[in-house]
Amino acid sequence: MKSGFILNDRKTILRFIQRAIDDNEELKAHVVKLKKGTIVFKQGEKLPFLYLLLEGSAKLTHTRHDGSSLDLVKLEPGHFVGLVAFTTGNASLTTCSVLDDVTALKIEQREFEQYVNDHPRLRHPLQQLMMNNMTDRFLKNVELESRMNSLNKELEKEGEELKNAYQQLEDSHQRLVHQEKMATLGELVAGFAHEVNNPAAALLRSSEALKENFVHSSKNDPLELMFRIGLESEPVSSVDVRNRMLVMQKQFPFVNDRSTVRKLAQMPDKAIEIIDSSRKKIPIDQLIQQFESGKLIHNIKVASERIANLVKSLKSYSRQDNNEADMIDIRLGIQDTILILSNRIKYLDLNLNLGDLPLTCGRMGELNQVWTNIIVNACDVLPKKGHLEISCQFEKPFIKVIISDNGPGIAENIIDRIFEPNFTTKNQGAEFGLGLGLAISNEIIRKHGGKITASNKKEGGAKFEISIPVKNC
Amino acid sequence: MENQIFILVVEDELEVMDALVNDLEEFETHFPIEIANSAAEAEQVVQHIIDSGSTVGLILCDHVLPGKNGVDLLIELQNENKTKDSRKVLVTGQAGLEDTVQAVNKAHLNHYIAKPWSKEALHDVVIQQLTDYVIRRKLNPLPYMSILDAGRLAESLRDNPLTDH
Repeated sequence: MKSGFILNDRKTILRFIQRAIDDNEELKAHVVKLKKGTIVFKQGEKLPFLYLLLEGSAKLTHTRHDGSSLDLVKLEPGHFVGLVAFTTGNASLTTCSVLDDVTALKIEQREFEQYVNDHPRLRHPLQQLMMNNMTDRFLKNVELESRMNSLNKELEKEGEELKNAYQQLEDSHQRLVHQEKMATLGELVAGFAHEVNNPAAALLRSSEALKENFVHSSKNDPLELMFRIGLESEPVSSVDVRNRMLVMQKQFPFVNDRSTVRKLAQMPDKAIEIIDSSRKKIPIDQLIQQFESGKLIHNIKVASERIANLVKSLKSYSRQDNNEADMIDIRLGIQDTILILSNRIKYLDLNLNLGDLPLTCGRMGELNQVWTNIIVNACDVLPKKGHLEISCQFEKPFIKVIISDNGPGIAENIIDRIFEPNFTTKNQGAEFGLGLGLAISNEIIRKHGGKITASNKKEGGAKFEISIPVKNC
Repeated sequence: MENQIFILVVEDELEVMDALVNDLEEFETHFPIEIANSAAEAEQVVQHIIDSGSTVGLILCDHVLPGKNGVDLLIELQNENKTKDSRKVLVTGQAGLEDTVQAVNKAHLNHYIAKPWSKEALHDVVIQQLTDYVIRRKLNPLPYMSILDAGRLAESLRDNPLTDH
């Protein structure tokens, strides 16, 4: 509703004023024309004049501490110029420059009251216009304030998003580095395996060839018999060696030297019988030497076979040659992993319960990483002779692998976070403390369409359950 | 078995033990060898040797063993009077830096042999360590001249002339 007194239309008010000026010579003398580009006043100056813009336009610019300047408002006909400085008497906060040639009523500050009194036709419109200007600016202020607020909120949101994006970038970077490391490791292992296979094969072949040199198929020759028994002999524990040494000392009292007694103590009864029956004809040292030769060749054979097996497992474990998805038997991967980690789990009480599983489409190398991560984590917290149980079974349509231990378990306050990247309970700089192991495991299982969960057993210890859907490639 | 100086070998893998003992055979004319597959067994063997009036001159010990590990065994033996002077050598391919630092600081480890070893290097270490043992215990070095470091033994004889041997 418009009241008769309150004119809130700037143009209408301006028309009143324009008419008043046209009718009054004294006022006309106060009308000034300012060319485009003219600086009306500068920031920091005290203003002796107040301008009322009649035609044209001007802008107010604020210069900041850092020297940059900010355009604040464009002033149009009906606007006062210098209003704030005029009403407060303070120095101007802005610089005013003319945009389009301006016609303005220039009012001297100290004469303002007088004008208003001398020209009653002006008083009301001027007051209205001033009010109108103030209201305008106040509205603008409110609008600005609210815009700033939403801008701040937006900025905050963007900052948060940026932080998340950065974290994700960091995570995927770390994952990439890890993948790269694994790939390099795989290449190294493949090359290493190939190189080690050669000397291992040479060892194995040489031991076989050496064997031929001793064997002449004269089955009744005690020397050859001793060699053959040596070839098949199994190593004897230190306790048994000690006990049998006492027996041998009694049985062969003429043998004084301890090394020989120890050798006798490690022979099976068959060999002792041969020595007993033929030592009158053949010196005992020769008989023992034959047995020892057989045993040494046997040891070479066993050791080189062990090397060959380790290399084979290492190769199939890393699967560098073939990390494509393939129809795989998950049990073989678990067995390779156990062999590779045999050094870590040597003295754990390992309970392996691998039930029948169908083949499924997967990446053996990646899955082996999962088993490794979980088993190594268990090894880190288990005491010697700790208990580790690995089982798998087929629960249609899932293959389920369960790895559990009787260690301290996982603290309840962190159990929900252990699959997050960079979450680690191990000290920085520890051997396996990257905090990526379980995150990567989680990722690998997810890529296989499966799920990995961690829980604590009622009787104590941690339990990881992995289920992978069976599918064809 | 009285008044003998033993070499004790602690190793859990039987083939490896076999190879170690084979390589040490030449010392057995002067230093009988005893073997143990675990730390617990080693403790019993040590006790038995001491009870029979002999001493342990040198302990060659693997690190990864069933039950107590090699470094812990050596630390324990270092803290016992009867084996304080025994020379202690770690023979392993698996002890990490931390374990080894422990062994040096707490077990006064005298030497570290990495697997695989060579017979020459092993002999060298055994000769030097047993020579140290004979000199430290101020034993009559004459019986060992032929098998240990004769030069160092003779030198020690000059510094510490035999008195009541």
